[in-house]
Amino acid sequence: MSLVLDIFTIVAVSAGAFFFLAGTVGLLRFPDTLTRLHALTKADNLGLGLVVMGLLPQAEWPFDSIKLIAIWLFALLAGATVGQLMARAARREQTTP
Amino acid sequence: MTIPDFLLAAAVFVLATVALGLVRILRGPEDADRMMATQLFGTGGIAALLLLGVATEARAVLDVALTLALLAAFASVAFVRSASSSEGDDPKETNSP
Amino acid sequence: MKNVSVRAAMARGAGFFGFWLVLIGTDPVDGVAGLFAAAAATGASLRLLPPGGGRLRYAVLARLALRFGQESIMGGVDVARRVLSVRLPLRPGFLVYPVRLPPGPACNTFGALTSVLPGTLPAGVDDHGALLYHCLDVEQPVAAQLAIDEGLLIRALGGTHDDT
Repeated sequence: MSLVLDIFTIVAVSAGAFFFLAGTVGLLRFPDTLTRLHALTKADNLGLGLVVMGLLPQAEWPFDSIKLIAIWLFALLAGATVGQLMARAARREQTTP
Repeated sequence: MTIPDFLLAAAVFVLATVALGLVRILRGPEDADRMMATQLFGTGGIAALLLLGVATEARAVLDVALTLALLAAFASVAFVRSASSSEGDDPKETNSP
Repeated sequence: MKNVSVRAAMARGAGFFGFWLVLIGTDPVDGVAGLFAAAAATGASLRLLPPGGGRLRYAVLARLALRFGQESIMGGVDVARRVLSVRLPLRPGFLVYPVRLPPGPACNTFGALTSVLPGTLPAGVDDHGALLYHCLDVEQPVAAQLAIDEGLLIRALGGTHDDT
């Protein structure tokens, strides 16, 4: 049982790390501000989500587990709000140069 | 390789990846692009802290990550607000044209 | 109506205090501070987000959460594929989505939800109140996906699929 959970941790954390890599590469490669924002808010939040999911079997239930999920939800909420605000600002710059 | 070792390696990988994204701060071109790099670094830092905290069973590190998650959002919102208000625009954007 | 708001206040207060216990721990001395914090949070939440009349439908909400997870993974893989591809296949552009939800908390929730989903990014509203979405690939059926999400959200919040 513990082996299965450990494998789950390794797979999920690796996938999360991969999405951090994808987000960074997108931030560096994408052509303009709005497309870069896509790479950031998406790959990045998914990266943190997968890392949190992978850590859940290793964390102490219930306090640490709920705290981990809360951190992810805060980051998600922040990412959603900031992403929209930045997209609006970037759109204005693009349409009214 | 034990699970804590793996988690530590993952933390280093994530941190190195998002640090690479800081190149965007040098390149710009817009301030929004620079802010996005710092935001990515913030999320990556949270992920690295979570990985470290669980790997070393230092539970206080999770609280640090929680605080960081709350503060990272404020920095970006403050940035968008000040960037928009300098153009005489309200980022909240009502339905009026 | 008064009954509803008292019940909502109790439920929210209990929720905030529970969250406090998770964050801080169950030491009784800390709990006193927690009670004050939970009371303050409840007051703020009742003022900023008054309890609405509609009842949440948890079954639909669960379906929405499931779909959200699926779409996040699929969209995340899609964005990652484009990022790592040598040719960088992007057809970025704007899409006007005539949102059915009236402006307000529900509409903001929809914006936040879809902004987290890969491939779509709400970038404000146009002059007619429609949401402007920036897409990485305008040839993808983005509007159809958004309509499904919105329908689920409307039903989860207690509305019917067809009312306007």
